[in-house]
Amino acid sequence: MVYTKKSPALFIIGVIMLAIWYAAGNGMLDGYMEHLAAGKKYKYGAELMSIPMYFGLLSVVIGAWQWFGNHTEGAWDYYSSTVAGAMFILLIAMLVRWFIAPEVAVISMSMGKVGDTGKYIHKLLGLNYVVMGIVAGIVIVNVFKVPEWAKNGVRVSRLGLKTGVILLGTLYSAAELKNLGGLSIVMIGFFVLGSVGMVLWMGARRNIPNSMGGVLSAGMGVCGVSATVASAPVVQAKSVEIAYTIGTILLWGVGCMFLFPIIGNLLGMSYVQFGAWAGTGILNSAQVAGAALAYQPDGIETLKVAEIFNITRVLILPIIVLWLAVWYVKREENVTETVNVGQVIFAKFPVFVLGFILLFALSTTGMFAPANHYKGKYFDNSNVKASKMMTDEQIAVLSANAHLVQREDRKVALARLIDGRKIATIDDDATIRGLANSKVMGKESGKILKKAHKAVRHTAKKIKAFRNWITWLFAFGLVGLGMQITISSMKQAGGQPAVIGGVVGLTKAVLSLVVVLLVVSETI
Amino acid sequence: MENNFDKGSALSIFGSDRKEDFMALAFALIIAFSVYFAY
Repeated sequence: MVYTKKSPALFIIGVIMLAIWYAAGNGMLDGYMEHLAAGKKYKYGAELMSIPMYFGLLSVVIGAWQWFGNHTEGAWDYYSSTVAGAMFILLIAMLVRWFIAPEVAVISMSMGKVGDTGKYIHKLLGLNYVVMGIVAGIVIVNVFKVPEWAKNGVRVSRLGLKTGVILLGTLYSAAELKNLGGLSIVMIGFFVLGSVGMVLWMGARRNIPNSMGGVLSAGMGVCGVSATVASAPVVQAKSVEIAYTIGTILLWGVGCMFLFPIIGNLLGMSYVQFGAWAGTGILNSAQVAGAALAYQPDGIETLKVAEIFNITRVLILPIIVLWLAVWYVKREENVTETVNVGQVIFAKFPVFVLGFILLFALSTTGMFAPANHYKGKYFDNSNVKASKMMTDEQIAVLSANAHLVQREDRKVALARLIDGRKIATIDDDATIRGLANSKVMGKESGKILKKAHKAVRHTAKKIKAFRNWITWLFAFGLVGLGMQITISSMKQAGGQPAVIGGVVGLTKAVLSLVVVLLVVSETI
Repeated sequence: MENNFDKGSALSIFGSDRKEDFMALAFALIIAFSVYFAY
């Protein structure tokens, strides 16, 4: 079979990419970029000047060859024929990232922030490139159908997702383990494993396919999109099952984000209690942060606890994948209890999850960023530039407003900051950040405190580059995933995942609330 | 999506999951080392 289609499609895709690059480089998109930036600097200017040029040229060259060349059966024909579909997906991902997602953000920001959360509606609903990429893919396949010349290439989207999951390992480091208290490990361990087990059990009782149960269990148990993507190949999940899981998690998280702070206030929970509860009960990282900030808009203590619980979940991911690998083989192949677990793991354990662990280990060595980084951000006050040290005027403003600070820890951190003209320790940094958020010292002091915080917080360039790669790979993979989801496949999957997700999510939320109230007594 | 390919599966162009995993690992390592040396 000859896979390469004699079509001008790839050539045209290349021309479109080059046109975007040319228009951006010659200022033809300046007005539109200004509109999308909503008063700030447009974030993707540099990308627009380079990425479409490289991929545009590649597409034009290979596209011309596909259009006019002679093609014969073989490995070269098979693999090179995927380029047209891959570039089609990439073009859609470009449009989503550069234009569609920012446009949605502009519309959302024009509607104002939601209540006490301090966040815009698109942030709270998780309307980012993940969701929009899947939706774009679904619209294309159901409204226009995937063109013949692109079909082979759509199948490389999973390769992109796997590569993205491996690179996720670079964003974390084992130094974070030091910060994890015994409580977070025990609670998260119990609730993650409990939720996974419960979804699998309910899935079996309600006769949903093993692949659906498996992928939903990882999504409901661990942490949303990354866990869903990482576990999907292990249980051979279909595209529609992955999309259903992501949808269930996001919808559930939106409900929790609004309900959790109300319940927390009704019960008079402490910041630590609420952080632990939100970090356990809510699945998506952005939504955990939204709920924590809604509960404590004037500080970051709740957010810090919630973040620690969140990290613990990510680190459990490889264990869950291992479990699902063994579970899936046992269920699918109807083998008895005598199954050789070692053999199953060797045969089925996904190598790409080992890749995630490998890059996590490399990240821990400090190869990509100082070893104490978290998602690329790290504290370092040893090299603060003279221009970023606090000035006499700033010291005077802070000293004049220092009497407004009531909390002892904040008073001490502020005194040290005034003395040293820069933040002294990583703990002081967290305290000063909380003080700035609380706004008790007034607007001007708040600005000065935030500057002091920024002076000692650095973003590692390598991690920033990795985050860009991961975003692109996920955007690419999810657009392709969306292109494999037809309306009929959605009907086939039915409403069971949402029911199971809802029951398990509610059980986890209620039980974790009880445990937090019984076990966590620490108050701030 | 129908499986109308004589190689790979409906979800992947590779013959086996393990082959796809190794390809993903190779790509990820190439990216990781490129980033390491470029920044």
